[in-house]
Amino acid sequence: MNNRTSMSVPKGASTVRSVSRRLRIAAAVGLGALVAGCAQDAPQNTFDPAGPNAQRIQNLQVPVFIIAGIVGVITLSVIAFVVWRYRDRGQAIPEQTHGKPALEIGLTILPALILIGVAIPTVSTVFALAETDDTECVINVTGQQWWWEVDYPVQDGCGGISAPIVTSGQMVLPVDTPVLVRGTSRDVIHSWWIPRLNGKRDMVPGRVQTNRMQADEPGIYAGQCTEFCGLSHANMRMEVIALEADDFEVWKANQLSDYESPTNELALAGESTFIAQCSRCHQVNGLTDGDGDPIVSRPDLNVYSGAAPNLSYLMTRTTFAGAMFDLLTPECRADVWEAPPDEFGERYLEGVTPECLNRVQLREWLRNSPAEKPMYTDPNELAATNGLPRGMPYLALSEGQIDELVAYLLERK
Amino acid sequence: MSDATINPADAAPVGSDAPAEHMAIPAGYDDGQDHIGLEHHTSTGLSNTKLAMWLFLGSECLLFGGLISTYMLYRNRRADTLGPDQLWDIPFTSATSFILLMSSLTMVLGVQAAKRRDDRNTRLWLTVTALLGGLFLAGQIYEFTVFYREGLGFTTNLFASSFYTLVGFHGAHVSVGIIMLMATVGMLLRNRVHGNKAETVEMIGLYWHFVDIVWIVIFTLVYLIPA
Amino acid sequence: MAIIERPTDTPALAPSGGAPAVTPTRSYGYLRRPVQTTGWRSWAFTVDHKKIGIMYGVAAMLFFVVGGVEALFIRLQLAGPEGTVLSADAYNQMFTMHATTMVFLFVIPMAAAFANYMIPLQIGARDVAFPRLNALSLWTFVFGGIFLNTSWFLGGAADGGWFMYAPNSAVPFSPSNGVDYWTLGLLITGIASLVGAVNLIVTVLNMRAPGMTMMRVPIFTWMALVTQFLLLFAMPVITVALVLLLFQRNYDATFFEVAEGADPLLWQHLFWIFGHPEVYIIVLPAFGIVSEVLPVFSKKPLFGYPFVVFSGAAIGFVGWGVWAHHMFASGLGPISVAVFSVATMAIAVPTGVKIINWTLTMWGGKLRFTTAMLFATGLIVMFTIGGLSGVTHSVAPSDTQQTDTYYIVAHFHYVIFGGAVLGLFAGIYYWWPKVFGKLLNESWGKANFWTMIIGMNLTFGPMHIVGLQGQPRRMYVWTENRAGDGFFNIGFWNLVATIGSFILAVGVLFFFINVWVSRKNPPAPADPWDARSLEWMAENPPKEYNFERTPTVHALDEMFHRKYEDVGEGDAHDYVKVATAEEIQAVETANRDDHVHLPSPSYWPIVLSFSLPVIAYGIIYSTLLVIVGLAIATVAMFGWALEPPTADDSEFESPEGGDGGEPSKELVASV
Ligand code: HEA
Ligand code: HEA
Ligand code: HEC
Ligand code: CUA
Ligand SMILES: [Cu+2]
Repeated sequence: MNNRTSMSVPKGASTVRSVSRRLRIAAAVGLGALVAGCAQDAPQNTFDPAGPNAQRIQNLQVPVFIIAGIVGVITLSVIAFVVWRYRDRGQAIPEQTHGKPALEIGLTILPALILIGVAIPTVSTVFALAETDDTECVINVTGQQWWWEVDYPVQDGCGGISAPIVTSGQMVLPVDTPVLVRGTSRDVIHSWWIPRLNGKRDMVPGRVQTNRMQADEPGIYAGQCTEFCGLSHANMRMEVIALEADDFEVWKANQLSDYESPTNELALAGESTFIAQCSRCHQVNGLTDGDGDPIVSRPDLNVYSGAAPNLSYLMTRTTFAGAMFDLLTPECRADVWEAPPDEFGERYLEGVTPECLNRVQLREWLRNSPAEKPMYTDPNELAATNGLPRGMPYLALSEGQIDELVAYLLERK
Repeated sequence: MSDATINPADAAPVGSDAPAEHMAIPAGYDDGQDHIGLEHHTSTGLSNTKLAMWLFLGSECLLFGGLISTYMLYRNRRADTLGPDQLWDIPFTSATSFILLMSSLTMVLGVQAAKRRDDRNTRLWLTVTALLGGLFLAGQIYEFTVFYREGLGFTTNLFASSFYTLVGFHGAHVSVGIIMLMATVGMLLRNRVHGNKAETVEMIGLYWHFVDIVWIVIFTLVYLIPA
Repeated sequence: MAIIERPTDTPALAPSGGAPAVTPTRSYGYLRRPVQTTGWRSWAFTVDHKKIGIMYGVAAMLFFVVGGVEALFIRLQLAGPEGTVLSADAYNQMFTMHATTMVFLFVIPMAAAFANYMIPLQIGARDVAFPRLNALSLWTFVFGGIFLNTSWFLGGAADGGWFMYAPNSAVPFSPSNGVDYWTLGLLITGIASLVGAVNLIVTVLNMRAPGMTMMRVPIFTWMALVTQFLLLFAMPVITVALVLLLFQRNYDATFFEVAEGADPLLWQHLFWIFGHPEVYIIVLPAFGIVSEVLPVFSKKPLFGYPFVVFSGAAIGFVGWGVWAHHMFASGLGPISVAVFSVATMAIAVPTGVKIINWTLTMWGGKLRFTTAMLFATGLIVMFTIGGLSGVTHSVAPSDTQQTDTYYIVAHFHYVIFGGAVLGLFAGIYYWWPKVFGKLLNESWGKANFWTMIIGMNLTFGPMHIVGLQGQPRRMYVWTENRAGDGFFNIGFWNLVATIGSFILAVGVLFFFINVWVSRKNPPAPADPWDARSLEWMAENPPKEYNFERTPTVHALDEMFHRKYEDVGEGDAHDYVKVATAEEIQAVETANRDDHVHLPSPSYWPIVLSFSLPVIAYGIIYSTLLVIVGLAIATVAMFGWALEPPTADDSEFESPEGGDGGEPSKELVASV
């Protein structure tokens, strides 16, 4: 268990902390046996906290699991003993005793006491994790079938954000900074869950919910929508990207940088294809039409839930379409995901280079997105949604158009 | 047994002159209950039907509890469409509520008549009860049409939907009560009530009073307490 | 049949031979009463609680296979990464219908089967309080279940998950008719449960044999009683939710439409206020069954009977105050979360009481591990595991890591399969001779048990691991990217779970094989297990009227006390058998009641039930059908009201006597 974890526990937690330290020893003992011999846990392992909020839960759940384990072992051992000891070996009919109230009351009170012991730290943890006024940065997430939009409102937090930043699928945040995620949904209920950073919180349409996020180290923290939200619920993933403060500044500056016009023929052709085919749904900041007027996408008129990912800086992310697919080839992906914390920021900020682009998958997506990700886009079956698709429809692009679009998108970073 | 199946159509009607001696019904069985066995008595002393009615009404409490909660949650959700304060006509609804209350009284009279085995008066009071219920229902329908004309459709807003659902459910209960009352009157007339008439009437009475009490709650929460 | 007449000193009723039967001579309502005693009519129109119980059981087992096959599809799809057995859409329908079928069409009806069959026998009654209502419950459930499942063939089944959260259940998000089928189907089966609950509660409260005080009521009946109370109060709550959803989907109401200002959490509250009591509805009957089985095969009374009774009642009460533990992540605010978290822990106490008392029942006993006993012991072990993972959920902050992952799926399959289903199988093996007069084969039974235990642990055990490794539930695919590697590798354990589920299926298949191979077994002895409660005083299978005479009860475990006497001095106990079950039954027969009135079969329950799916189809497709359905219902209700529950004597031709002088009990059972 690393030191930064305990140092970054917020101040208000001192009461919990003294308890938690002792518990952590127990935790180490208990989990040690389990963790040993395991190569690499799944990225969404719930017993592998990487920030103070998840750590707080860890400090609670490890002892609870141990207690449950002990109670289980005792109970099952007693049953095993009874089964073995009292099996019928021809003994006489036993005494027809109807019970021993004292024993029973005792055995009722004992579990009650154990549970009171569990209840007290539970309640204090509940309140600690509900705290919202000690955070230093606000990031909004909006769930939508079947991807997350992430946006950064103008604020002093997060080192100052001067203009709104909108991205999707990946939430970038500075390390060691308590972040308040405020979330909602545009259609059905989704659930925001980055297991290594905190427990989950449902994002309910019509409500704003909060979730604390804080990472101790740079890296990618995988997550997954965990409230069943329809067809592609399984494909609605997300990641939190934690960057050192200075890397975060770089990322921010890039997200607010000006539009860069395409630099080559193909990409230039891609720009006009994009304007013709895509910009009614997808915003690219700074894109202008022939008259120099900004092109504003209207996903609200074209998608049932009312939004589509902002593609201005698509290639700064490493996954797309609800983090279902990698924008990086497998080798490049491993490079980023497995980068040691001190090199991670650099690798991530490189974004998607032409060599690393997962062209196959991106082309498949453009060729026929509904075939890649189950969505509700069949024009014949959209009566219930006034003809609007849920997700990205099939656009019947030619291979040539796809070439152009890939070239164009490759420069969106 | 060769063939124990009997086609009812083949069975010659023999009339009611079947040998009576071994058909004797044990004393006290004629209580009209669906219960079985020789004992007239029940373990709790309450008759089966009555107990069943109480249980059913207990269950109904939760049904109305759920509907009322929904209404209370949504009563103010109406954006800038119509809401209670523009619509309620308290004097009118009070009058219909009073009629429904009175029907509880006539129901009591009906039950008492039934207990005295006074069929004539039982029929009379049950009919009056049904009529009062019908009057209440007519008032409600009138009220609904007024609201509807003023622009409050079932789907106008959340308040409307939950209001119509709640009050409509209550109205449906009243209607069922009226049907039961009238059916009983009809069966009394033709002497087709099985078993204990007083108890049948009493059971309907229980139901009727329950529906009334629910109305008092609804009237208070929905109409009287300002939104 | 209506009247069972056994005047011991009356001569033959009629000289001629032929079928002994009574014939209705007057029609009530619109039709003559049904009188068939064989063939399908004797089942379709019966009001006998035992026949109804059997039909409940058979129908429930069929639905178990349906739900199980759906589960196997789920497991096949998840066996490897990026599964392709099912499409996303089919998968979503699959788990929704799997859960709906298992919960509403298998476990609840199976428990109803036992309750129907056993309660009157356990309390010394001749039938339930309202036999026709009983038939109504059965057929309403059967038609409701069929209705629900026809959605597969009519445009697709419901796809919103078994708790059907709003607003995902709204038309734009689920445009097929599946959710409508689901809503209407559950409304219909809800009526079945509600009617059944009223009926069984009245039966238990009112129809106990003389001397059977509440504290002498067999424990299964007690637990079934608590279950019925839970149903009585839970069903109306989900009814409200379903009605709101129905109005939203079919009549444009906006109860869950956020754009109109609705609050989607309303659905969650309504659903779980029903849904949590529901899980105890699922498990309490099984608890009752093992509380019967364990004492019998331990040759000891249930340890702390009053504690078990009161803890059951306590579960019934506290179960109403914990629903929001299913909503720990939905943003209720810390106060509610803390309250519900603690309340949930509290419910582990009365449940623990049961585990402890069962263990102490076995302690010091004389344990015979028949198949029934194996299932009961299996329940204690498996349920404890599931219960303890339940306690880890109750710790709200931890639950935010667990909710909607496979760790939850593991929890509830351990408590449901390891609790309810094992308990129901214990009951099947235990009461099979009572119901069918034959024993099931013990070797096949043991094979059945062990394959099921191994299968269930292989299926659901790994789900703890994949859940804690972060695999969410309700995912039609999982991806290698998030699987990790090494010992806790999600891929490996998913494969194990799939293999386990097929072993489990083989276990279930062994049960059906057992039923088949046991069909020609010789008649079972009157008291094959040396049982303790009243139902074993009736014959195997019981006569239509259950008991030769209404028994008088002197003690809890009446049957045991009639069989055994304690001849020990002072503190020393020495139990000697003073009577066999055959002897006890012989005494009863010798003193049988002369007059037994049983209710008469009736057409109306099944007709009335039939009208419900007609109305439901009508709501989905055409108002005309609604009218037809309502017409059928009206006819049925008037027919019902005009028909006396027990046919009048005058309605019947005299029973044409079969075998002369000797009053024939056969006659009784067959007419
Ligand atoms: C048979 C049904 C059944 C039963 C009996 C239980 C029993 C319990 N359940 Fe379970 N539960 C379900 C069926 C059931 N559950 C289902 C179906 C769901 C999921 C629904 C869905 O989302 O689809 C669910 C979900 C569920 C959740 C929500 C999880 C989530 O979605 O986030 C929670 C949270 O608290 C919970 C808790 C409990 C607890 C504390 C018990 C307790 O009653 C358990 C008590 C038992 C024991 C504790 C073991 C024996 C006791 C002892 C040996 C004594 C000593 C013990 C101690 C000192 C601890 N259950
Ligand atoms: C009573 C309740 C019950 C029962 C008994 C079961 C039994 C089983 N369940 Fe169930 N399950 C639920 C209730 C239940 N489940 C609920 C409530 C959910 C949540 C759904 C949701 O999220 O909405 C769920 C979800 C659920 C999932 C998660 C799906 C997901 O989240 O994506 C899985 C996955 O493995 C699963 C598997 C199984 C398996 C393998 C069995 C096995 O035990 C099944 C065993 C039975 C058989 C295998 C039958 C086999 C019989 C034969 C093959 C006989 C051969 C044929 C003839 C004789 C003709 N269940
Ligand atoms: C009718 C609306 C619509 C149109 C037109 C459309 N898209 Fe999309 N697009 C979407 C939606 C909705 C999503 C999110 C789908 C998901 O992840 O579930 C999406 C996702 C994407 C993504 C993944 C973005 C991310 O950050 O995850 C890319 C890349 C993309 N679209 C490219 C294009 C291109 C290129 C075109 C034009 C050729 C185009 N789209 C046209 C609606 C549209
Ligand atoms: Cu979004 Cu599940
Ligand atoms: Cu629960």
